[in-house]
Amino acid sequence: MHLPLVSMLRFAIVRDLPSMNTNLIWLIAVALEAAILFRGLRTGLQKRYLFFYCYIGSLLLIEVLRILCYRQTPNLYGAFYWETEVVRIVASYGVIFEIFKRALRHNPGVARTAERLLLVVFVVALTYAASDLLHGGFGSVPRATADLGRYLLYVEGALLFIMLWLFGRYRISFGRNLLGLTLGYSFLVALDVVNLAFLSTPGNGSSIALRKLIPITHLITFIIWCASLWSPQPDPLPPAESAIDRDYGLLAAKTRATFAHLSTRVGRTLRP
Amino acid sequence: MSGLIPIVLLGALILIFGGRLLVQWSRRSRTQVVTIEDYYQARAALDSVFVETAAIKRIFANEDMEFISQGRIGDVRRFFLKERKRLAIQWLRMTQRQVARLIDLHLKMASYTYEPSPSLEFQLTVKYLCFVLISNVLLAFLWLRGPFEAVKLVTYTLRSAEYFGSVFSLRLEKIDPVKLGPVSSPRMV
Repeated sequence: MHLPLVSMLRFAIVRDLPSMNTNLIWLIAVALEAAILFRGLRTGLQKRYLFFYCYIGSLLLIEVLRILCYRQTPNLYGAFYWETEVVRIVASYGVIFEIFKRALRHNPGVARTAERLLLVVFVVALTYAASDLLHGGFGSVPRATADLGRYLLYVEGALLFIMLWLFGRYRISFGRNLLGLTLGYSFLVALDVVNLAFLSTPGNGSSIALRKLIPITHLITFIIWCASLWSPQPDPLPPAESAIDRDYGLLAAKTRATFAHLSTRVGRTLRP
Repeated sequence: MSGLIPIVLLGALILIFGGRLLVQWSRRSRTQVVTIEDYYQARAALDSVFVETAAIKRIFANEDMEFISQGRIGDVRRFFLKERKRLAIQWLRMTQRQVARLIDLHLKMASYTYEPSPSLEFQLTVKYLCFVLISNVLLAFLWLRGPFEAVKLVTYTLRSAEYFGSVFSLRLEKIDPVKLGPVSSPRMV
């Protein structure tokens, strides 16, 4: 699936240009980014979620640079947008790492399984993206940058999906700070992925509607982050150390035996 | 356009799993750290569902239905069927709940362990999904046709499975190992 460069650049323009000078939404978003960063530094949360605050800092810096570029050299803005977008997406991988590290620090078993699974997903998705990117050729630098950004976002979406599935399956406990960070980030990535996919159909009504919704979704994400990371909240307590609770072999054998027992009993009950 | 579907699906699934995480967090007071004791209790609770096996068997007993049908009183028969259906559904739902609780505890405890086996976890997941599927099909049958018709269907399925099982075992017994190809000898290094 290759997107026409015109629509990619139009996406950049529709997404950012009206908001650059006058759009209130954009100004509020920048203010929220600054507020998140300020509160993080003030409360010390930046030590706990270092990669996340680096990501927010890079977002703020990118926004400022984009304004400067738009004002000084508007004809270069399209290409500059995609170059900075790739930097933003690469920086956002740090947030994935942060969520993974913080969420699974008391669950070494899931962390090990997740590490392997994430590595496999990452390699598969990256190989697919790289082959598609090379297969498509490099018509122009902005086009190649736009493609790279899109593929990196898809890989990120796949990693996030696996992580969220694992968190749900193993009932991983979250503190309020980490939950807000994860939910806001999931919301942002999910809508970015869908929006970028819909760009391949420029005349599509839902595509136009989604593009208009993008600044609002970013705003909602920043509000979620601002509210959840305003003050430090205690993390869930680690489980008490007990050898018997950590014996996986024993646990797995018991659960398997229960299943075998269950099928026999249900069969015996229903048999006349 | 077809290339869009997996991407849109991915986005939708991220939102769904994010929502599930929020629901899980809102119920956090009920999801405290668990120990092997909680697990044993859940197993005992599951066992208790089957303690009165004779009584549970009675829910599905065809003889009772035959006895009631002899009376030729429509209201009594209807009431009897309604009651048995209610009891059967209750029993199955309780079993489903207890199994779900046990799996929930298993997953929580597996997450604390240092070396869980992904293949074993996968096998358990498949078994659990099979149980969920079969029990829900049974539930639908109980709801639509009542306990007696549902049991007829289950009995038929079990007998068919037994029949195929015995056929395959006989077939295996009849196989002459001598006529089979020789076992390839291990390569010498």
